[in-house]
Amino acid sequence: MGKKCPEYVSELNDYLDGTLDEGLCSEIEKHLGTCANCRIMVDTMRMTVTLCRDGKPEPMPDALSARLNGLLKTRWEQKFGKPQP
Amino acid sequence: MNEKELVKKAQAGDFEAFTDLINAHKSTIYGLARRLAGNQEDAEDIVQDTFLKAIDKIDQFRLESSFGTWLYTIALNQARGMFSRRQQTDIRTIEEYLPGGQSGHDHSGDGYQLFDWQNPESLLENSQLREIIDRLISELPYKYREAFVLRYLEELPVKEVARQINESEAATKSRILRARLALRDQLSDIFEAEHGQKMS
Repeated sequence: MGKKCPEYVSELNDYLDGTLDEGLCSEIEKHLGTCANCRIMVDTMRMTVTLCRDGKPEPMPDALSARLNGLLKTRWEQKFGKPQP
Repeated sequence: MNEKELVKKAQAGDFEAFTDLINAHKSTIYGLARRLAGNQEDAEDIVQDTFLKAIDKIDQFRLESSFGTWLYTIALNQARGMFSRRQQTDIRTIEEYLPGGQSGHDHSGDGYQLFDWQNPESLLENSQLREIIDRLISELPYKYREAFVLRYLEELPVKEVARQINESEAATKSRILRARLALRDQLSDIFEAEHGQKMS
């Protein structure tokens, strides 16, 4: 084995994101077959991002939209003046 | 009316054109702010400051990017300004997240095994899990949180994250990795403790 675990860990994001070159990928995969901790590290790093992405996007609250409308109009009128009737 | 026409009208003082532009992007900006802030109050401040800044700078917008991209960059700057003023501790180095810490030894034969959590839903309710994840992301020092959120929640390519945070690709990759390792590490501790309680 050429590399030690810390050196593999610095490549894991690229490996997980699919942006690592093929040679290093197969080297890592070979290592994962023999190193339980690196395998767990890879699986749980993948799961970490999956969990973080799981939340549903929240819509902008209506109260915020309403407050912003007033604030933005006031600032707009300070900059451009009130619209002519 | 297309975006370019709306921008021209807004720059001439047409508030309705400006609100049309804002309305087309408010969900994106709010989502970004919510992810970066991790709480409602700060997210609302970022959104408000972003739109007010857009009014102040609308005449300087030269249509070199889309209005949405311009607004997105303003929001990132507002968030960075807000959080960089708050004191934050650094997170550990990449090596320190390994079992065995900084020793850099091959940990495969030292008997220590990382806790393997493949099914966190069996340990915690979904709502608890969501709350924990939001809190952990919001507790990351801002420069790591920003890189992680842009890469994995906003799903920007590394190159674009680097451009947005004004760092080299190598430095950006390192921040993203450290954030991911920090989150993984903290989730492991939480899941291991939950697992221990369930087993006892």
